[in-house]
Amino acid sequence: MPVIDVDLDELRGLVGTDADDATLIADLFELGLEHEGRTDAGTEQFEFGPDRLDRLSVEGVARSLRQHYDIAPGLSVPHAASPEYALVAEDVPADRPHISGLIVRGLALTDAVLTSVIQLQEKLHATMGRRRAKGAIGIHDLTMLKPITDRIPDRKALIYRGVDPAETTFVPLGADRAMTPAEVCAELPTGRRYGDLVDVDAAVPGIVDDLGLFSFPPVINGSRTELATDTHAVLVELTGTDQWTIDRMATILGYALVARGGDLEAVEVVTPEATLRRPTLDVETKRVAHADIERTLGVELSPETVRALCGRAGLDATVDDGTYAVSVPPYRVDVLHPVDVIDDIGRAYGFTALEPRVPDVATIGGRHPRSRLRRALRERLVGMGVEDMLTFHLSSPAVTQTQMRLDAADAEVLGAQQPVRITSPYSEEYPIVRQWLLPSLVQVLANNTHRRYPQVLGEVGHVLWADDGAPDGVAEADHIAVVVAAPTASFEDAKAVCASLTAGFDVALATPAVTHPSFIEGRAAALEVEGTTVGVLGELHPQIITDAGIEVPVAAFECAVSAFETDDSG
Amino acid sequence: MRLAPIEVTLLEAAPAGEPEPIAAIAARTDAPAVTLRGAAHRLADEGLCTVTTETTTTLALTDEGRRYLDEGLPEHRLATAAAALSAPSVPEAAAAAELADAELQIALANAARKQLASIDGGVVTADDPDPDADPEVAALAAVADGDADAVDAAVRDRLLERSLVTADEATELHVALTDAGVTALMEGVEATDAVGQLTPELLQSGRWADVAFAPYNVTADPPARPTGRQHVLRATAERVKDVLIGMGFAEMTGPHADADFWINDCLFMPQDHPARTHWDRFALDLPPAETVPAALLERVAAAHTGGVGTDGEGYHTPFDPDVTRAMALRGHTTSLSMRYLSGAAVGPIEPPARYFSVEKVYRNDTLDATHLLEFFQIEGWVLADALSVRDLMGTFERFYAAFGITDVRFKPHYNPYTEPSFELFGRHPVTDELIEIGNSGLFRPEVLEPLGVEGDVMAWGLALERLAMLTSGTEDIRDLHGTLADLAVLRSAEVPY
Repeated sequence: MPVIDVDLDELRGLVGTDADDATLIADLFELGLEHEGRTDAGTEQFEFGPDRLDRLSVEGVARSLRQHYDIAPGLSVPHAASPEYALVAEDVPADRPHISGLIVRGLALTDAVLTSVIQLQEKLHATMGRRRAKGAIGIHDLTMLKPITDRIPDRKALIYRGVDPAETTFVPLGADRAMTPAEVCAELPTGRRYGDLVDVDAAVPGIVDDLGLFSFPPVINGSRTELATDTHAVLVELTGTDQWTIDRMATILGYALVARGGDLEAVEVVTPEATLRRPTLDVETKRVAHADIERTLGVELSPETVRALCGRAGLDATVDDGTYAVSVPPYRVDVLHPVDVIDDIGRAYGFTALEPRVPDVATIGGRHPRSRLRRALRERLVGMGVEDMLTFHLSSPAVTQTQMRLDAADAEVLGAQQPVRITSPYSEEYPIVRQWLLPSLVQVLANNTHRRYPQVLGEVGHVLWADDGAPDGVAEADHIAVVVAAPTASFEDAKAVCASLTAGFDVALATPAVTHPSFIEGRAAALEVEGTTVGVLGELHPQIITDAGIEVPVAAFECAVSAFETDDSG
Repeated sequence: MRLAPIEVTLLEAAPAGEPEPIAAIAARTDAPAVTLRGAAHRLADEGLCTVTTETTTTLALTDEGRRYLDEGLPEHRLATAAAALSAPSVPEAAAAAELADAELQIALANAARKQLASIDGGVVTADDPDPDADPEVAALAAVADGDADAVDAAVRDRLLERSLVTADEATELHVALTDAGVTALMEGVEATDAVGQLTPELLQSGRWADVAFAPYNVTADPPARPTGRQHVLRATAERVKDVLIGMGFAEMTGPHADADFWINDCLFMPQDHPARTHWDRFALDLPPAETVPAALLERVAAAHTGGVGTDGEGYHTPFDPDVTRAMALRGHTTSLSMRYLSGAAVGPIEPPARYFSVEKVYRNDTLDATHLLEFFQIEGWVLADALSVRDLMGTFERFYAAFGITDVRFKPHYNPYTEPSFELFGRHPVTDELIEIGNSGLFRPEVLEPLGVEGDVMAWGLALERLAMLTSGTEDIRDLHGTLADLAVLRSAEVPY
């Protein structure tokens, strides 16, 4: 979850309140911002959900509190002056076709404001921008630009296009010499990190003015337009793969800069298809039924209260015959449906003010039959002195095959089924899901050779394997397995446990001799129910035991849980 | 004085002065050491002898230790080689000393610690190295000679840390007669024909009436008896199930490997959500799922791209049917809830209904003291004609109360699939900190309408391991779940009820 750093004094100043720290923190909790702690720099850290990206800056948090405290309730949309500048998109890179932007004048960029703006930019990149892939922001000192004046009549033009990565040069931010975009991607840290978002072999995104390239999105700005504390007018340009996304990011930035005293000025975005005016400051309307509000919050509210609560959430609402028309400001990215408005109303009301209750509906609870069978099997095992294990489902062929002396040739035996493979595993140790349980139990024995014997371990657990005949190509089952590790462990010990289980569940089990590479030749039996092989039982092969570092013999069995199901297990 | 025969044997054989180990007395008397130990405790209870426990530590060289004893410690080899060259670089000195990889790292670290050599700007400077003056070398030789007592404790600890020696501890009882014991001997002790085990033969023959029964040391610890027991996390899961069943919830079940349709798309998770990349999700090498219901898929796709309702809006991400059919290990059991609510699992479900599961989920996260790649999720939902957030709060508060977690707070939160949503916070039963104990919300219309659900559904979940660690105080999740568990920890875990 993203966190932002907020100086509470600065917040108080922007809000216009003298509420103390504890009150602010409690009120922000009500709005959904969780206090994480204090940083070394003396600011407070808040974690917040990724739905309210307009709160990614202290300006946004202040705006929310000004609404919540009734200091400035209701909808507010800043005025945007008519556009002077045009962002012209021509021959844009196919993988990054969209551009948006805005201009803010009359700013006083103190260190605090600069820090806050840069933090907002970074957080937007990390969230909506999907690490700059979906949207990236460049902020430039407007006075350092020399727009092209003969391109669009009455407009100062800046061109967004694909530029030659090996020929175009500019001085990137933080560098002391001119470089090409290809060199930036090869040599600068920011270039290496974001370089794979562009195609250095063909054309890379670039924004140029009359003096040349000044922005190489999404990688880095030019140093020519670097912001400083005496910058008073900025151009914000955004590029990306989705127009709606970058437009919303632009609006959020615009609001933040206006909150710092700036004046918003629109820009024209000129594409071959259309000329658009940005930032988008459109107000959407959602219709919300009063009955739905009362049902979801579980309280009765008067229409006046509902409208006042909407105001405290930064929304405007008018009511007509039980339905509210709610106006939603353009910095909101999360209002997809009227339920999102109801959530806002709830937060404004304060969910902690609601009295919990239990719904007046009766239902009958119970365990699933298969779950009851598994529990009954475990109880039976524990009653026989078996220690119940809970091992990982994820495993590796080294454990489920090699460790157990199985190889590709043993297609028919238990444990040799094709495993389900993970495409990008966490590590070499966990690339598959286990097909049988005994290997996991052997691992536990191997990890516990310094613990007291006897070790009689059992597990009733889940296994998976690849099966073309099964729905979606995967077969899943529950198995039961027991290992008996003791100085005198023998075949009979495993068989005794197995026999006790089958007697208890009234299962007729046949145990014909079988060959299985994991067991000593002549000391292994198949477990059969009504002619179908459901498992295997025997003395574990000494190679397995010694390779695992175990110094006592091990008898074991494994069997499908379905063998114990009776038709009337209800 | 009358004593049991073994007690008489010990009394007669034990020394009156310096205590002697039981093993020595056993060798002299041909009596088994284990029976002498029991006799020693009983005599001590009578005040006839003293019993003390002595621990002896024997040190032995490890293979690595033996190698260093023969070849020299790596840091000495490095320093000696460096001193013989003039201002060598680290690779040059390492080559001359024939050190590489791990051994080189060991050499460098210890050379620095012992100030045998210094490295400045990549050049190794060794002062006059004198391996024989190093107490560790002498200690290794002493251990090899079996003369562990000569080793200073600090040097021994250093060698143990470096895994060059191992220490084996053995405890033994030492026995000596007290004055009262000597007196008793001089006054005369008689071995009684006292009976130990009461046998069926004594009972059936009636001879039990003619014998005396030797008193046992009833306060002594019994032999440890191996016992079966339920796994501590399973026991916690069963407890959770009991609580939920008691609240009217019925159990769900379903596949671990499933199509992303059920895991994420039904849940109105945008297809480009960060949690759907391989950083978080275990995609499987399987062909695309074939069992995704076509009509439902169409409705879900429509919800993603256009929203639901007259004022609904979708995501600004294209909906890709290939993504929806991709098979993965479920990252949450909400896939089961979707299967049940859609009617695919047990047929259509009418309100009111309550369902839960405590089942395994898989996340490509990390494996450390507080995270696993696979863990249990507790999931519960309620379907009713009308539900409010108050019903959600009340229901799930009741659950936590059963585990002693009261004072539950609900913080407004965001999930792509519920609105309103709440993170639940409660007080840690031990540290009293406010910690996150669950996630909840009312399912969005974009989830419920494509599924054909009429009514409201509230849902909630948390990780079982989190609850278990809170209530048991366990600090390492690998003790509670998985193949890396220590049997000693499992065997001594308190039974949760």
